[in-house]
Amino acid sequence: MTDMKREGGYADRVQLAYAKTLDYVAHSVIIVMAAGYFLYLTGLLPLSVPIETIAGNWHLSASRLQAKLHLASGWSCFTRPEGIFHGDIVSYISVIFLSLATLICLVSAFLVFIGEKKRLYSAITLLQVIVLLVAASGILSAGR
Amino acid sequence: MKISVPRRLVIPAAAAGALLMLLIPAMPLLAASAQPDGVTAWWVWVLALFVFSFVLGIVAVLAGVGGGVLFVPIVSSFFPFHLDFVRGAGLLVALAGALSAGPPLLRKGLADLKLGLPMAFVGSISSIAGALVGLAMPAQNVQLLLGIVIISIAGIMIKAGKSGYPEVAQPDRLSQMLQISGLYYEEFGKHEVSWQIHRTPVGLLLFFVIGFIGGMFGLGAGFANVPVFNLLMGVPLKVAVATSGLVLSINGSAAVWVYMFKGAVIPLIAVPSIGGMMLGSKIGAKLLPKVDTRTIRTIVITILALSGFRSLLKGFGI
Repeated sequence: MTDMKREGGYADRVQLAYAKTLDYVAHSVIIVMAAGYFLYLTGLLPLSVPIETIAGNWHLSASRLQAKLHLASGWSCFTRPEGIFHGDIVSYISVIFLSLATLICLVSAFLVFIGEKKRLYSAITLLQVIVLLVAASGILSAGR
Repeated sequence: MKISVPRRLVIPAAAAGALLMLLIPAMPLLAASAQPDGVTAWWVWVLALFVFSFVLGIVAVLAGVGGGVLFVPIVSSFFPFHLDFVRGAGLLVALAGALSAGPPLLRKGLADLKLGLPMAFVGSISSIAGALVGLAMPAQNVQLLLGIVIISIAGIMIKAGKSGYPEVAQPDRLSQMLQISGLYYEEFGKHEVSWQIHRTPVGLLLFFVIGFIGGMFGLGAGFANVPVFNLLMGVPLKVAVATSGLVLSINGSAAVWVYMFKGAVIPLIAVPSIGGMMLGSKIGAKLLPKVDTRTIRTIVITILALSGFRSLLKGFGI
């Protein structure tokens, strides 16, 4: 059995497209995350909240910490008056990128399903994308 | 008298020993840092978290469990971070692990999109609901429930069997409608394995419940996905494990946004956890063929039960 058969012969086009996108996105996430954290810890970029201040309060609940320090949450990093060029904000954006990775892969799968006229799975994938978009929109929120 | 230790036991014993050595000194440090002006420097905790996640990544692979299910109970029990941030990081840890393992499994036909997508769809909706409920409840109650869930998971890990190639005589109507079946090449036995599934409606219901628990406690849900796929629905074990990662990545991606909008994801805690776990998982995958996984699985179940017990105590305010 050839390598081609072993690696790709058992996966259809949509799986291969999903895998290719995932491969690309996963490697990008690792690089962006490592670079962002390096900028954060080394202080090469200024910080919007000092690390010591966060460490002194990380025993508090998320609600209480937010009320006290106003850290980046949801998409707020893009609307803050101080801008995004802060070590902690850049690192937070790398986490957003990780959270979006699956959504990007699902969109690539949806496009292949549509191209192959597989209506049922196009619909399921589209609904899944909508669920993730609703989650990422912040419409749903919890309070304590 | 000379005592000889079998070579296959050396690596798992060393990994488990390293895990215990990290846990034991963490307890007094926890007491010191429980005060807002704790005496332990922040970088000690961040470094400890990275090293701990790295060792956990190795142990998780060797024990055949997801990293998230070990990360949340242990880190919430032995590190000074609030449970909210540990759960947020736990979801990202599980998500990152599943994403990095995904591409080769998809290419080999082991992770199956047609099997995973319907399950992930119901699971992602319930995982959002679980995250909303978990963040709305008092932390002490969540800690108490986490203890119960973790002890139950340890019980499931002891009891649950597994079946390499379950036999499905007749696929159910829903799985036929969804065209869920597959074929993959079994490298161990050098033969092709074709599979189909049954009991899809019950499986969907269980994935809804599993998604809720995963979102509520920030756990990766591989511990439950795999038995449901394998033992209930008749999916071959390798396909069940690989597709579980796919489902987990979609569920985690949905629930983590609830934590992010709540401010429960702090890069200072999340990034070293993700980095340590991903590096450790890669080392673990390389060590896997060389170690006695039964020994390390027993040790991990014991540690899991102990952290569950500690979560229970914290939940009772002890």
